[in-house]
Amino acid sequence: MKKSSIVGIIVIAIAIAVIISTYSSTSTYGSFNDAKNSKSELHVVGHLNKSKELFYDATKDANYFSFYMKDNKGEECKVVYPGTKPQDFERSEQIVLTGQMKGGEFHASKILMKCPSKYTDDKLNVTEVSAKKSASI
Amino acid sequence: MDIVFKGEHLLPGQLGQFFIVLAFGAALFSLICYYFSAQEDVAKSDNSWLRLGRIGYWLNTVAILGMGVCLFYILYHNYFEYHYAWSYTSRELPVYYIVSGFWNGQEGGFLLWYFWTAVLGNILIWKAKSWESPVMVTMALTQVVLGTMVLGLQIGSAHIGSSPFLLLRNAMEAPIFKNPNYLDFIKDGKGMNPSLQNYWMIIHPPTLFLGLASLVVPFAYATAGLWKRRYKEWVAPAIPYALFGCMILGTGVIMGAFWAYESLNFGGFWAWDPVENASIFPWLVLVAAVHVLIVFKNTGHSYFTATLLTLLSFVLVWYSSFLSRSGILGESSVHAFTDIGLFWQLVIGIIVFLAITIYLLISRWKELPITKKDEDTYSREFWMFVGAVFLGLSCLQLILVTSVPVWNAMFGTKLAPPTDPVKQYNIIQASFAVVIALLSGFTQFLKYKQTDIRRFFITTLVYLVFAALITALVVYATGVYKLNFVFNLVMLCAIYSVVANGKVLADAIKGKFKLAGSAVGHIGFGLLLVGALISAGTKRVISENLTGEQYSAEFAKDENPKENILLYKNEPIKMGEYMVTFRSDTIEGAQHLFNIDYQRIQNGKVTEGFTLRPNVIQAQGGMSSSPDTKHYLFHDMYTHITMTNVITTEPQGEEASHGEEGDDKKYDAPVTHEIAVGDTMTYRDGIIILKGLNKNAKLQNIPLTDKDIAVGAQLEVISHGKTYQSEPVYMIKGRSVFDFGKKVEDAGLKLRFTKIIPGKTLADGKVEITVYQQPESKKKFIVMKAIEFPYINFLWAGTIIMVIGFFMSILRRNKELKPEPVKVAAQPRVKVQKKK
Repeated sequence: MKKSSIVGIIVIAIAIAVIISTYSSTSTYGSFNDAKNSKSELHVVGHLNKSKELFYDATKDANYFSFYMKDNKGEECKVVYPGTKPQDFERSEQIVLTGQMKGGEFHASKILMKCPSKYTDDKLNVTEVSAKKSASI
Repeated sequence: MDIVFKGEHLLPGQLGQFFIVLAFGAALFSLICYYFSAQEDVAKSDNSWLRLGRIGYWLNTVAILGMGVCLFYILYHNYFEYHYAWSYTSRELPVYYIVSGFWNGQEGGFLLWYFWTAVLGNILIWKAKSWESPVMVTMALTQVVLGTMVLGLQIGSAHIGSSPFLLLRNAMEAPIFKNPNYLDFIKDGKGMNPSLQNYWMIIHPPTLFLGLASLVVPFAYATAGLWKRRYKEWVAPAIPYALFGCMILGTGVIMGAFWAYESLNFGGFWAWDPVENASIFPWLVLVAAVHVLIVFKNTGHSYFTATLLTLLSFVLVWYSSFLSRSGILGESSVHAFTDIGLFWQLVIGIIVFLAITIYLLISRWKELPITKKDEDTYSREFWMFVGAVFLGLSCLQLILVTSVPVWNAMFGTKLAPPTDPVKQYNIIQASFAVVIALLSGFTQFLKYKQTDIRRFFITTLVYLVFAALITALVVYATGVYKLNFVFNLVMLCAIYSVVANGKVLADAIKGKFKLAGSAVGHIGFGLLLVGALISAGTKRVISENLTGEQYSAEFAKDENPKENILLYKNEPIKMGEYMVTFRSDTIEGAQHLFNIDYQRIQNGKVTEGFTLRPNVIQAQGGMSSSPDTKHYLFHDMYTHITMTNVITTEPQGEEASHGEEGDDKKYDAPVTHEIAVGDTMTYRDGIIILKGLNKNAKLQNIPLTDKDIAVGAQLEVISHGKTYQSEPVYMIKGRSVFDFGKKVEDAGLKLRFTKIIPGKTLADGKVEITVYQQPESKKKFIVMKAIEFPYINFLWAGTIIMVIGFFMSILRRNKELKPEPVKVAAQPRVKVQKKK
């Protein structure tokens, strides 16, 4: 067998492995209901329920922020985030959470939010905060 | 009815718009002329098409400069009637940020790209000799495509391109624009996003765009070579340009990484954000291309791979600008732009250059000089080829994962990006890095064509053992051994690459100096990997926090230790081996700086003391926090404000209107103490001592008569090691009793002298002092995070060394180009015609 064919086969094998690993590592956008039935982390898209309390009091705990979010199916759930309250959180239009359900609360490890730019309604700013542990490599 | 608007400065905009149209027209003209020039038989030609093509390109360059001048004029004079000026600048912005406001928006980014392509085109007109016509066809085509991006033509409801000279009143619909005097109401622009107000904003975008723009040159040479059937000749002149692209694009990307590292807004120097990934697709592929181009030049092998990678790298430039500019990454990226209506134009951009690539490769397939013979297993060319393939595979993985939103849009799926993309990327990319670093090491011991196998194995092994020893030391000293096994392997291979190339460099200095460029480049790459690995792998949050109310046991269990700590003003807290104190805050321009004292305490002694000044900028209705860093040779320590009650974004009018009544509400319920001179009272944060009574207390604006009594209580407050003096006054004037409280802001106290309880003498008597202290939440505080990044300097040093390596290689490859005699230029074409 020619060497170039061997190299070719190896390359194709790695390429396929990469594609499979890409596909298997992608997660899903789900609802809170999906989160309740799942043990792994997933993304939940929704919006902030502005009528309920956003709780953050640095003097009591600088790393505890909780709020209520409605997912795209209309289900509401309390969300807990281990960090400071992100800037302009109240103004967010859409939130994408990454995390998992634990005992009736959704523990978010990452919050990505879209805020309307203050002056123009047609532009959205996206910001992300993450509470990932530092040794994540 | 047309409204006549007052106070607008329309001339620079109209002039600018004229230049945009002129530049587009000139590029199109140049494209056509160069095309005919390239089709001509050089020997018979009078060069008139060539000359017209040049004129077109020069006109395009002049028009681009004109646009730049107009736009800068508008920004510099704060003409907020222009949407671009209003969106990205404001009056108080310093001049150097106004310069960078130029490329704050997408249109400005395109202008930069446009400008650099014009510059490169002029260099080619000057240098390319016989290649000029076919190469300039691609350059002019690029200018045409880029020209459409800023054209700003409105055709019915569709528009082509987005012009930076768009007027505010045309950009937005609002009732205010019915008013002829609307400009009187627009006092200021929105200003620059606070996180962009950084000196890197001035230097990073132009470098990055030069890098991206420069990838067109190897692409142009490759297309010219295929088109004109000068298959082998295009490689040699393209190599220096490809190296230049690698060098500049690499520098631009690393500048971005440095900026991200410094501002900490994106979690370290590399966060695998889709936009960051998109910027290295073309770089990885071009680096791979350079290697196989060199292989082809030296041995004649790997022609197809070299051509394909060269062509693809520029297609990927378009793909990466599509990713970051089309808004498609909306849900997965922090710093992608939103769509400004260029989505389909960007898609067309990709298609144009991809179509050229595919067409040329297929139509010329049978004529390509592809060798039938295999490379020898122990030859340098074979392993360089393998390395290039692995670089390509690593890029493929990045593209596949980064493009998840694109797959969703194309196939209607609803995949979400990985929940922990950083981990995913780190592991997979590290595996590729193992192979690439290993190859960049042992391939140095191989020769082109054939190698003495026995000697090769001995040297490889000797250096591998040597590298393993160093790795063991490094891994143990830095704590990398605690990480995943793959990262340890990367470390070994990276160090191996450094020592192997170190040997080549040593040999090169002794004799074959022309080999030094690649050795230096590879050493830089190895060090870069080492630095990235240690720094990202062993970074450590120092501000560990185990306190905090237990809202739920589960939460506490999962999240401890948490990463933010709370610091009240002037109350020291122990953080790791440091004692930290939030001392004060000052406002300098737009920045609100916080002074934080650090004292390193070892064995009870203060061994080191310094102050860090992280700051918070308020602009565009948001806050942006930038850290301050203590740099050591082997690690950097970051301090970053994540939250504070010192600055509020809410209007402050409320508090002032409450008066005395309202003022007391800001404090906890008062505590009264009856004490004598010399006595001590305690309160939550310290003690208060009554030093004495001042019978001659004076009050401003209140004249005292002999019958009036005014006594001041001389109080000393000692709180957290600091001493404050205060003297509240008790006064009897006429028949009324007054007391004048005093505040000690820094200690969060208000003290009132409320009663005198007479004794035998005044000094003997007691007094009543009422102490108001601020509740914990009203005291000034900051919430901060401190992180230590070790050995980051390896990463920066590695980068600089790698760039130097690229530069040395450019010099070498440039020298290798034989000057092209003018007459000979016609010869290849004759050969081609024979083939026909």
